[in-house]
Amino acid sequence: MSSTARSRVGAPVAVTGAGVVSPIGNDLAAFDEALFVGRSAVRAHALDLPGIELPPVPVARSEFDAAAVIAPSRVPLDRGTAMALATADEAARDARLAPGRFDAERLGVFWGSGMAGATTFELTCRTVYADRRRMRPTSVVTTMPNAPVAEIALRFGARGAALAYACACASSAVAIGEAMRAIRAGWIDIAIAGGSESLLTPGVLASWQAMRVLTPLAAGTDREASAQRACRPFSIDRAGFALGEAAAAFVLESAEHARARGATVRFDLAGYATNCDGVHITNPDAIGQARAMRAALADAGLSADAIGYLNAHGTATLSGDAAEAESIAAVFGANGVPVSSTKAIHGHLLGAGGAVELLAASRALAAARLPPTGDVDAADPAFALDLVTGPARTSTGLAAVMSNSFAFGGTNAVLIATRARG
Amino acid sequence: MNPSTFAAVSAVLVEQFRVDAAAVGPQVALDQLGLDSLALMEFVFAVEDRFDVRIPEDRLDPRQAGVTLEQLAQLLDEAIAGKASRDVVNG
Repeated sequence: MSSTARSRVGAPVAVTGAGVVSPIGNDLAAFDEALFVGRSAVRAHALDLPGIELPPVPVARSEFDAAAVIAPSRVPLDRGTAMALATADEAARDARLAPGRFDAERLGVFWGSGMAGATTFELTCRTVYADRRRMRPTSVVTTMPNAPVAEIALRFGARGAALAYACACASSAVAIGEAMRAIRAGWIDIAIAGGSESLLTPGVLASWQAMRVLTPLAAGTDREASAQRACRPFSIDRAGFALGEAAAAFVLESAEHARARGATVRFDLAGYATNCDGVHITNPDAIGQARAMRAALADAGLSADAIGYLNAHGTATLSGDAAEAESIAAVFGANGVPVSSTKAIHGHLLGAGGAVELLAASRALAAARLPPTGDVDAADPAFALDLVTGPARTSTGLAAVMSNSFAFGGTNAVLIATRARG
Repeated sequence: MNPSTFAAVSAVLVEQFRVDAAAVGPQVALDQLGLDSLALMEFVFAVEDRFDVRIPEDRLDPRQAGVTLEQLAQLLDEAIAGKASRDVVNG
């Protein structure tokens, strides 16, 4: 039943399905609607830490009922893992990937998460240290970093691979890229790939706040308004980001596999590159970023001027945006490509960011419209950046888009999507 | 077996572990519920927590074949009774 392991080096990989749970919507219609008007889902969130007074933080929560997701194992799921399963189910439905209709030995699952199981882990710590109650038998399997990929693999009976990637904010971009490589290399024919992250727990939020990367909120009646505008990527008054929770999954296939089963191709994954800055644990490095973008272009066989939209990493930190503006200008030239950062509306989704932002870039491709950067009205004049602001910008003939993910630890990952051929 | 204990056990199975109510009865064995060993241990934790009691490990291994829900409910009743007498002593 197994098809021959034929190398498909350099070939585009077909994306035939997508699923999303995000602060801006849990289906493509809702997602698109918020994306193209730049409507922020960021809200003020109080930190419930017994005995510790901390100011509230900006947070982008997803409307999602984790209890409604039934695990293949029927054990309780971490909230992030429940999101992962829900999006994998939706992507498979979208791709019409029915059980028994594919060779399970040729199906792999590739999943990214920075801190999979974080919510359960923190609750577990509270159980022991604050509530003085016992650990549960399922504590290990709900908090292990490969829990999402394991549950998805169980759901679909995947026999080809089940690999978890933890490289902070690049996790899901790397997972998708590595799935693409595995298909190109002929190791598998089909993959479920993406990422999830849900760690909006008091301890985790307070840890990010302690790093001073979360935008401080205004006091009193201005608090909610300041929360909605907390993340202002590439603007002169940027002051940090909001954390969000989300998951996004894609079904990836070799072009011939998609064709053979008559699947509709949503878009092609044409290029991927990952590298490492090798410079600093948190500081971004424009040189490493530019190398990653150029390598992804080379992988796709495209020149820089073929890219019609770039969904930037754009976290709205002072140094992060400056480095990325510099690296983008180095690759594309001054004002050389339309750029936006949708983190303005869905927050920093950490390990899920690469997957959700690839989805945003692919929706731009499908609609030939470029999503704005929330309600940011101008780029910092220090940057030579063509920032998409105001209403969505029409981009007739848009054929290729890029998505950047740059992580703590120095991992850079860049994905390029193109219009499905024929 | 106290019927209210069994009713609580059934409710945990149906509500938390998505076991079909029609498949739950006193003579049904734990290993016939369609739950794996890990889920069974989680289930026993859940019913113990509902009554705030502990069944001693040497009295029950939920992975052991053939242990029925009635036996589980009886062990819970014993634990509940033991707790009640302790509460009286500790007054």
